[in-house]
Amino acid sequence: MRKSLLTILSLLMIASMVLAACGGGAPETDAPADSGSGSGGSSDSGGSASTGGEKQVLKVWSFTNEILTMAVAFEGQNPDVDVQFTMIPMDAGEYQTKIKAAIGTADVPDVVALEAAFVKEWVEADFLADLGDLLPLAEELQTYPSVVEVGTHEGVTKAYSYQATPGAFFYRRSIATECLGTDDPAEVQALVNDIESFLEVAETIKQCNPNYFTVGTSGELFNPFLANRAQPWIVDGALVIDPQVEAYIDFAKLMRDNGYESQANQWSEGWFAGMNDSLVGADGQPKKVFSYFLPTWGLPYVLIPNSGDTGGDWAMINGPLAYQWGGTWVGAMADSKNLDLAKQFVAFVALNEENLTNWATGVYTNEYLKAIDPTIADGQSQAAGDFVSSQVVVEKITSSFDGSPLYEWLGGQNNYEAFSLAAPNVNGALLTGSDDAIQRALQSARDQYLNGEIDKATMWKQWLDVVRSEFPDLVIPEPPQ
Amino acid sequence: MKFTKINRNYYGYFFIAPFIIAFLIFGLYPLYNTLSLSLTDYTLMTRKGEYIGLQNFTVLFADQLFLKALGNTWLIWLLNFIPQIGVALLLSAWFTNNRLKIKGVGIWRAIFYLPNLLIPVVIAALFNSFFSFYGPINQFLVRVGYQVEAVHYLQNVEITRAVVIFIQWWMWFGQTIIIVMAGMTSIPVHLYEAAMVDGASAAQMFRRITLPLLKPILIFIFVTSLVGGMQMFDIPYLLTDGRGAPSNSIMTNNILMYMKFASSRGHIGAASAVAVLTFIMTTICALGIFFVLRDKDDTVSSKPKRSWFTKKSETK
Repeated sequence: MRKSLLTILSLLMIASMVLAACGGGAPETDAPADSGSGSGGSSDSGGSASTGGEKQVLKVWSFTNEILTMAVAFEGQNPDVDVQFTMIPMDAGEYQTKIKAAIGTADVPDVVALEAAFVKEWVEADFLADLGDLLPLAEELQTYPSVVEVGTHEGVTKAYSYQATPGAFFYRRSIATECLGTDDPAEVQALVNDIESFLEVAETIKQCNPNYFTVGTSGELFNPFLANRAQPWIVDGALVIDPQVEAYIDFAKLMRDNGYESQANQWSEGWFAGMNDSLVGADGQPKKVFSYFLPTWGLPYVLIPNSGDTGGDWAMINGPLAYQWGGTWVGAMADSKNLDLAKQFVAFVALNEENLTNWATGVYTNEYLKAIDPTIADGQSQAAGDFVSSQVVVEKITSSFDGSPLYEWLGGQNNYEAFSLAAPNVNGALLTGSDDAIQRALQSARDQYLNGEIDKATMWKQWLDVVRSEFPDLVIPEPPQ
Repeated sequence: MKFTKINRNYYGYFFIAPFIIAFLIFGLYPLYNTLSLSLTDYTLMTRKGEYIGLQNFTVLFADQLFLKALGNTWLIWLLNFIPQIGVALLLSAWFTNNRLKIKGVGIWRAIFYLPNLLIPVVIAALFNSFFSFYGPINQFLVRVGYQVEAVHYLQNVEITRAVVIFIQWWMWFGQTIIIVMAGMTSIPVHLYEAAMVDGASAAQMFRRITLPLLKPILIFIFVTSLVGGMQMFDIPYLLTDGRGAPSNSIMTNNILMYMKFASSRGHIGAASAVAVLTFIMTTICALGIFFVLRDKDDTVSSKPKRSWFTKKSETK
């Protein structure tokens, strides 16, 4: 009796140790594709198409599973290629760190996806291959100049994007009708044409119903304000505090103090809840949010999936400020053993008319992908509506969105048309490799100031101290008064 | 004959070889590498660095953020360690007390240890959502009438620090209890019995028997907790924006080190300098603890019985 109990206990212990070991190993194996396992050997076979059993392996890293869809489509067109796709989240910079750590090792990916926040870091450094020989393709497809400009440093183009990301202003038609007397996009645009009139509209909405907020958070306007700066953050080794930065801080304080924002942090539960009217204040009152500042990708990836049954009650306009936000660029690592194939992949993803058309018009359904690779996850697919970087494709497919589900969702508006009017205004020259750190430091100090924890002078000082710590060589100007 | 002699002479080396090899590869070499990196301006994005002497260190000491991180790390560690050791001593004393005879000690111990098994990511995400503007704590306190309106808890320096301290305490006091209890149960029962016969109170027994005999264990807890505390990273990193918000109040040495490492260019030289300073500081403090808590008369641990009687006769 006693002995059997001991046996059971010791078995349990062994089992728990095995489980614990598995648990420890889990983070490393959570990537969908397993890296390593002799891929180096097979990839040496290089450019010549090897039709024999061995497939050419292409390692692609990204921070979302969007590119996986295109990777499967690429495999469909190139049956002798095996794309090993790895997704690493980038919430707190894990993805960037992981690529930096992989440089120079055998694990280095062939192709990397680079988000707008850090694409410039990589374009300015020496680890991406020169993709200048793909430029004729970009000219042929009339890729938006700002998109190419972001991927270019000192005349060398190293990354391309399949997206252009002009920003828009999405608002609720029902609240507009109730509080502003109209839900017509042209008329609402006239009401919010600049920041001053936007603030007037915010006051009108507050008077109309105290449980209505104009925006989820003033943080959504951070990008729009920054996109209208005259100069990038860093010019000739010195930090530039553009008047737009000061204007933004004053604006954000006004929004907070007057209760025009719901105060839910961007990307927090409360922020998403505002999209489908499930936001409940601490006082137990249901709250509504009038508008969201989101770019092209925000519509299919953020707004629609979280909108619940509010579809049809939305409209989109340019809003008070022209801006762009985010976007994913794709580059090939210079260390790649498969550079030709990597270039081919980048060209397919960002500069292939057929792929871009399929991408934007919802051809890549789950069934389409499963026909190529049956192991693909059930949710993997690309819905119609992402705004692509090629003007040629945009012009061809714009009319196809009339009457589409997106068109209905926007209460009878063609989102593609609206974005195509905004896209040429985007300025690609404002991005620099240091933006992310500078902006995150400012956001942290801003939140303290908005919450009344510190005064404005302390906020500037706190921000500049952090910037000084991160960029010891940077010339820091006197804080604004 | 000769063969066995060799065997006998080298057996010991074979047994310690795995540790020595692992230590050299995973302990000493990284340490050396960090030291040498801290004297360069090596960055991940340029892949080349030059020897720049102590410049990384002079920059660091002029950096307000580093001094702040240093202070934060000490503050958060001390405020979580003192209650942690206090509660652990108290609960362990109760659990091992022969007079109280608390039932289900094993279950209690397991419950106290459980938080340690949770992944820090989960705990940080949970607390972040608890204390968020539309989170349950705001909803509850406003509806109960304790608060007029919702507040941004994690924008308040004191509250955010308190949350970090609480999580650290809550996660680690179970671990400390287990070690302290192991130490207490190894103290011979007859010492307590003798003390009881002599009419000692519980407090006297704790101060005169338990604490002195527990000293080696306490030193161990002190030093391991110090090492862990100086390297605190996951909870403060994940609770807010990963940059020590609000107002850099929960920025620790390791978060600063990580920020330098993960900055746009990946300043691995500067990050190594932070690591080296943390290492030096921790080593000095650990040696200090050994020195302060050393056996001054060298009799307490080796001959507990006698020391008890001599001390007792002194007090009489």
